[in-house]
Amino acid sequence: MTPHHLAARFAGADRIRDEIAARTPDAVDHAARTRRTIDTYHPRRLDLRVDRVVDETPSTRTFRLRRPDGADLPPFLAGQYVGVFADGTNRPYAISSSPADLSHYDLTVRRVPGGRISSHLLDTLAAGHALTTTGPQGTFHHNPLFHGEDVVFLAGGSGVAPAMSMLREIVDRGLDRRFHLLYGSRSLDDILFRAELDALAAGHPGIRVHHVLQEPDPRWPGPTGLLTAARVTELAGPLDGRMVYVCGPQALYPYALGQLTGRLGHPRRRIRFEVNGAPADPTRQPHWPAGADPAEPVTVATRATAFRTPRGRPLLDALEDAGIRPESACRSGECGLCRVRVLKGEVHHAEEARLRLSDPDSGYAHACVAYPLTDVELDV
Amino acid sequence: MSGADFDAVVIGAGNAGLTAAATLQRAGARTLLVERHSVPGGCATSFRRGRFEFEVALHQLSGIGAEGQAFTLRPLFDELGIGDRLTWVGEPDLYRTVVPGSFDVTLPADWEGATATLDAHFPGNHARLERFFALVRDLTFWQIAAMRGTPADQVDELLFRHGLRPARDVLDEHFEDERLKAVLASYWGYLGQPPSRLPFQDLALVLFAYLEFKPWHLRGGSQAMSGAILDAFLEAGGDVRFHTAVDAILTRGGKVVGVRLDDGQEVSATDVVSNASLPLTYGMLDGLDIPGAVRTDLASRRIGVSGFVLHMGLDATPAELGFTASTTFVNTDLDADRTSASWRTREPARGICVTSYDVEPIGFAPRGATHVSLMTLQYGSAWDDVEPAAYAREKFAYAETLLDLVETVTPGIRGVIEEVDVATPLTMSRYLGHPGGAIYGYDQDATESWQFRDSELHPHVPGLHLAGSWSGMGGFQPTLEAGARVARRLLRSRTA
Repeated sequence: MTPHHLAARFAGADRIRDEIAARTPDAVDHAARTRRTIDTYHPRRLDLRVDRVVDETPSTRTFRLRRPDGADLPPFLAGQYVGVFADGTNRPYAISSSPADLSHYDLTVRRVPGGRISSHLLDTLAAGHALTTTGPQGTFHHNPLFHGEDVVFLAGGSGVAPAMSMLREIVDRGLDRRFHLLYGSRSLDDILFRAELDALAAGHPGIRVHHVLQEPDPRWPGPTGLLTAARVTELAGPLDGRMVYVCGPQALYPYALGQLTGRLGHPRRRIRFEVNGAPADPTRQPHWPAGADPAEPVTVATRATAFRTPRGRPLLDALEDAGIRPESACRSGECGLCRVRVLKGEVHHAEEARLRLSDPDSGYAHACVAYPLTDVELDV
Repeated sequence: MSGADFDAVVIGAGNAGLTAAATLQRAGARTLLVERHSVPGGCATSFRRGRFEFEVALHQLSGIGAEGQAFTLRPLFDELGIGDRLTWVGEPDLYRTVVPGSFDVTLPADWEGATATLDAHFPGNHARLERFFALVRDLTFWQIAAMRGTPADQVDELLFRHGLRPARDVLDEHFEDERLKAVLASYWGYLGQPPSRLPFQDLALVLFAYLEFKPWHLRGGSQAMSGAILDAFLEAGGDVRFHTAVDAILTRGGKVVGVRLDDGQEVSATDVVSNASLPLTYGMLDGLDIPGAVRTDLASRRIGVSGFVLHMGLDATPAELGFTASTTFVNTDLDADRTSASWRTREPARGICVTSYDVEPIGFAPRGATHVSLMTLQYGSAWDDVEPAAYAREKFAYAETLLDLVETVTPGIRGVIEEVDVATPLTMSRYLGHPGGAIYGYDQDATESWQFRDSELHPHVPGLHLAGSWSGMGGFQPTLEAGARVARRLLRSRTA
C-alpha cells in the first residue's frame, strides 16, 4: 500500500496512518473460514451413505442417510427437501426426520406408478450404498414470523413426509405449537408412520392426527372419502385464519384450493402448497397454445448437440435424456437453478414457472417447467 | 492477440464483474465470465416468493440523474449499449427518517427542498443549512477533481481541511440540534460507519449523489440491470459459465496465466479480473506466494459489516401501510455509536432501513400488495457463537426485533404478512462468497479511504486486476463504475 501523493496534505492523515500501522495483523485464513461456513450451512452437494432402510408399507421405504464420517449434517427447516441424484437425473425428496437430530436425514420414498427414479431407489438402494444429494432447501416450512403457532396440515399419501418432520420437531424441541394433521391415504395399508403418528397424538395435547381413507374398508371405522370442506371443518374445526399446509399428489392441490378458499372462504395467503413437480399434463393449463400437439417432436439444439424431443416433455428432462445435466433441484419451477436461455425458437412456460420480471427480456426459462413449442436453440 | 484461450477471465458476475466483462468484450478482448450461481448480479439480484419478486440489495441507486445531466451513470449504460433497455423509476424523496418520540422528517431529494424542510422542522437553521450543503457540494467537487488527478496546488484547501475529519465533527461545527444532525447523517447506514468514524468526504459524497442526481430504482429491480449488462456482454460475443467457481488463479514466472475451474478445467488467459473479495482472490493464487506488500496491506484491513434482511410481501397497499417514502430509516435513539457497536451482537435491532418498493413501483408486487425490505447492518461475527442446529431459531428470534422496530412506524404490519424470507450474514456469505458476509468489502472507515489504499491501482501481481467493493468503495454506483474503469485500464495496458 502506497498512500496517495495528496494524502499527507489532509488534516488528520498522520493519525489515520498511525492507526493503520498500529493495527494487530489480521491472521485469519478468511478463505478457509468462508468455505467452512458455506459447507456447514449450504453445501451444493452432500456425499452420504445409506445407514439403513426401513420398510414402511409395501410401496414405501425410508432411507436413513448419514455422512460417511458420522459428522452432523447441515441444519434444515422441517418441511425442506434435498435433491437426490440417481440414474442421470435428480428428484426432490422431503426430509421426514427431525431437524433436531442432524446425525441423519430420513428420506421416505413411495413407488410412483411408472416412476423411474422412485423405482430405481426402492429397487436398488440398500444399506451401505453411497448417495449424493443437494443440500437441504425449499420454502415449504413453518415460518414463525407469520405462520402462527396453531397450524393445519392436509397431507395426501407420501405428502405426509414433511409433516412428519414438522411433528417430530415439535416433540423433540418441546415447541408450544398446535398442529392438526389431516392425512388422507388410499387404503389402510398405505398409511405411513401410523403407529408413530397415533402415539404422538396420544402423548401431546397440541398434536391432533386424523386419518381419512379414500376407499372404505370394513376394518376402518373412521372417516372416508376426500378432504372436503365439510370434512376439514369437522375434523380441524373452523380454520379461523390458521396457516394450512398442503402436500400430496398433484390432483389434491386444485381440489384443496377450491375447498379451502371457495367453500370455506379461507384467505389464499394462509395456504401453502409444497411444490410438486412439473404439471402431469401441461396441455391442460389454459395458456397451452391451441393446436400445439404435445406428442410431436421438435429439435432442441445446444452448443454441444442437437436432438429431437416431444413438445410435451419438459426441457430439463429432454436435456437429461440427451446426457446434458443442468444444475437443478426442485424440478417444479420454483428454485430457478435450471435457468436456461432460449436463443432461438419459442418455449411455453407452465404456470409453475416462478420467473423473474426481467427474465423474458433475455429469454430465460426454468427448464424443468418449460416446453419447446418450436425448434429451439438453448444456451445451457 | 495471444494464443491463450481467452484474453481475459473475469471471476464473479457482481456489479463490477459484469461491467468489467462487458467493457472488455465490447472492446474486442475475448472474455470468459465465471459465476458460481445461476444468475448474474451478485448482490444485484432478486428472487421469487409466492406472488412476489424480492429485490435483494438495491435500495436507492445513486448517480442516474436526469437525462442530459452531466456526470451521471447514464453514459456507462449507454456505452454498453443498454441505456434504452432500462426503465428508471425516480424517487422524489431522499428518505423519511424517524426516531420515535424525537423526530419524523421526510427529506425531499433536492437542495432547496431539503433546506426548507429541515428549517421548518428545526427553525433557525436556514443559514447553517445553506453553509453545510455548500460545503457538501464544494468538497465533493474537489474530492472528485483530486481523485481524477488535478494538481495539488489547484485543489481547494477545504478538501484537505475537512475531507478526512469525522463527519460528526463537521456536523457539530455547523449545528447544535442533535436531532437535525441525526437527520442529516441518516445515510450513514449505507456506508456502515457511524458519523464519529465516517470520513466527512464519504457522507458528503453520498448526500451529493442523492441530492444532485436523485435516488432511483428501476423496473425489474437490480436483476434487470444485471441481466441487461450480461446481455451486452453476450451480444458482443462473450462467454459466460454459471454454476462454476474458480478454484485457482494460475501463475507462471510471477505472472497470471489463467484460472482453474472447479471441474478441474484450466483456462489460459493473459489477464484475470477478480470481482471476488481480496482475501479469496489472493488466496487463489497458484504457484505464487502472496506478495509481501499485499500481505501486510490485507492484514491491516478489517472485514466489513454484513446485513440482516427481511424480504417481505405484504397484502396491503403502501398507503394502507402508511408508507409515504420509498426509504424510511427508523432508529431507536440518537446514539449511532451504540447502534454500530450493537452490530457485533444479536441484541435487538436498534436501527433499520425500511424500503418500500411500491411507493414508486418497480413491478415486484401484484396490485394491492407491497414489497418491503427491512434491513439492519450486522457483522458476520455476531453469529459465530450460534450452533448450526440453533441457527434457524436465532435467525427468526432476531428477525422479530426488526419487526418490533418497524411496528413503530407501521403498526399492524405483522398482520398483513403474506411472505417473508430472512437473510442473515451467513446468507450473504453463501451467495457472495465474501468473508463475514461483508456487503461493502472492508470496513469503510477513514483507513479505507482512497488516500491510503491503492489495491485497485496496484494489485502487485502482473495480469491480476481487482474490481469491486474490496478494492474501492462499496455500493452499486461505485462498483458499477469500478468494473468499467478497471477494464478500460486493462485495455490501455494491452495496447501500450
